[in-house]
Amino acid sequence: MTLAIQTQNLGKKYGNLQAISSLHLEIPEGQFFGLIGPNGSGKTTTIHILSTLIRPTTGTVLVAGHNVVDDPVAVRRKIGLVFQESALDRTLTVEENLQFSGALYGLDHRLIAERSRKLLDLFDLDGKRKAKVATLSGGMRRALDIARGVLHQPRILFLDEPTIGLDIINRRRIWRFMKQLRQELGMTILLTTHYLEEAESCDQVTFLRKGELIGQGRPDVLIRELGAFILEIESDEPEESIRLIQPQLGSPVQEGEKLFFRIPDATFSIGRLQDELQGHIQSFNVRKPDLNDVYIWKNSALEGGNTAC
Amino acid sequence: MLKALWAIIQRELMRLIRQRGRLLSAMVRPLIWLLVIGSGFGTMMSQYGTDDYQQFLVPGLLCMVLLFGAMLSSLSLVYDKESGVMRMLIIAPFPHYWIILARTISATIAGLFQTILLIVILFALGFLRLPIDIPLFLLGLVVTSIVCASAGTLIAVFSKTLENFAVIMNFVIFPVFFLSGALYPLKNLPTFLKIVTLINPFSYGVDLLKHALLLDMPKSFSAEFSIFQDLLCMVSFCIVALIIACLRFSQATVMENLANLLSTPKHE
Repeated sequence: MTLAIQTQNLGKKYGNLQAISSLHLEIPEGQFFGLIGPNGSGKTTTIHILSTLIRPTTGTVLVAGHNVVDDPVAVRRKIGLVFQESALDRTLTVEENLQFSGALYGLDHRLIAERSRKLLDLFDLDGKRKAKVATLSGGMRRALDIARGVLHQPRILFLDEPTIGLDIINRRRIWRFMKQLRQELGMTILLTTHYLEEAESCDQVTFLRKGELIGQGRPDVLIRELGAFILEIESDEPEESIRLIQPQLGSPVQEGEKLFFRIPDATFSIGRLQDELQGHIQSFNVRKPDLNDVYIWKNSALEGGNTAC
Repeated sequence: MLKALWAIIQRELMRLIRQRGRLLSAMVRPLIWLLVIGSGFGTMMSQYGTDDYQQFLVPGLLCMVLLFGAMLSSLSLVYDKESGVMRMLIIAPFPHYWIILARTISATIAGLFQTILLIVILFALGFLRLPIDIPLFLLGLVVTSIVCASAGTLIAVFSKTLENFAVIMNFVIFPVFFLSGALYPLKNLPTFLKIVTLINPFSYGVDLLKHALLLDMPKSFSAEFSIFQDLLCMVSFCIVALIIACLRFSQATVMENLANLLSTPKHE
């Protein structure tokens, strides 16, 4: 198995602030890898180090086989980057932007034209070729930014919150594009996001919390391991409900008046529990767990208490 | 890397041609000096025995176009720092100091492009009088343009914003122009001002063009330094300025700031 990205004991300090500490990552080639965590968890710092823009304080980092500190140019040649802020020249047209960016990678004019045609087609932007970037909508601009990021056919694509600031329709569009792109080019993708439902299509996800890795695995496996169902209860007297349920389902995660319990077993008798709780609760809801739940439970286990973030 | 350089130059020229106003004012500014100030002072000077003040102004005004053209172009690096272009450049596969060199080269060419336009206009209007030492003239234009571009780059890598553009105009561009021998000979200046003009690298560019253009001027209005001295001062300035700019730009903290610009969403 060849590794696209490998970090050992990676750490980064800004003054006294430890942004990330002893991070070990191994991302095999071709994988769709999700780096997940709230703002300030170190996702962006990690991406900046992997893409050679900032230097790590400790540890070694290999990207596409090159050390990011010793040979940043070789790394940059093999990676594509799409950041939260778009890397486009607003004063130039869509086509001119791709030509400019392609030339920075040493591609020749005709090759860029050919690839841009395909990408703009794929991203529904072929009608906007001559439009100035400043006139594009947020969703179109993001799509163009991704086209720019893959124009030189990088082996690894970094996507730092690619759907941030977009509405739900545009977010779905961007995801459709990403899927098509993976089918066409088959590259390794490292994604950061805090919309956890978006990370469910990843081959592997890693959870970061305050610069530390707190869990890793395939999304479906992680979700299955968490439990068969999640029980959501709203109650005026949460202590009373906890006293009744805890012996059967273990400690809950509490968010205000809401309580979340894991139901580990699909055969658990929900009806009987509902009868016992009669009169103590306002609402009772059983649903499938998702990646959000995985993150919340991992986080609450670390906080030691029963409150989620 | 050459393709990248060419793309950066192309973009600079394209922007220059699209910003008609910038190009027009770059042409009109020196002509106003030449026609208004030149004839005004010229009349006054003719009482003292020189009636060639306008001719004397030509090298200085060509340098002025280089100064505005090249320096403003390289100063726009400050704006680029906050724009998408810089993001494209810092993730591109070449060393980061190359961004500094490429921007300086493209600014040099932007300055030369505007000067060549002015030369054509001056020639058509009959202000560019023969004989001209053409090789020296071309060398002088190129080297002076590099000086102006490097100076702009040096300022740009050290400034965070150029919000107050008037400050740069008042404290950099105008003093550099006025204290350069472009408008009057330097030799009779008071000592303090004379020292400033000797430190000002732009003075040597003006002087070099005087060597090339003012071949049959009276002694008191012709070049004041030797060609060798002019070239030595300018080339050393460029080398030092660019080394400082490259070192500064490659510093980790500068890169961290730039990297942070990539990831602070504004939610448009």
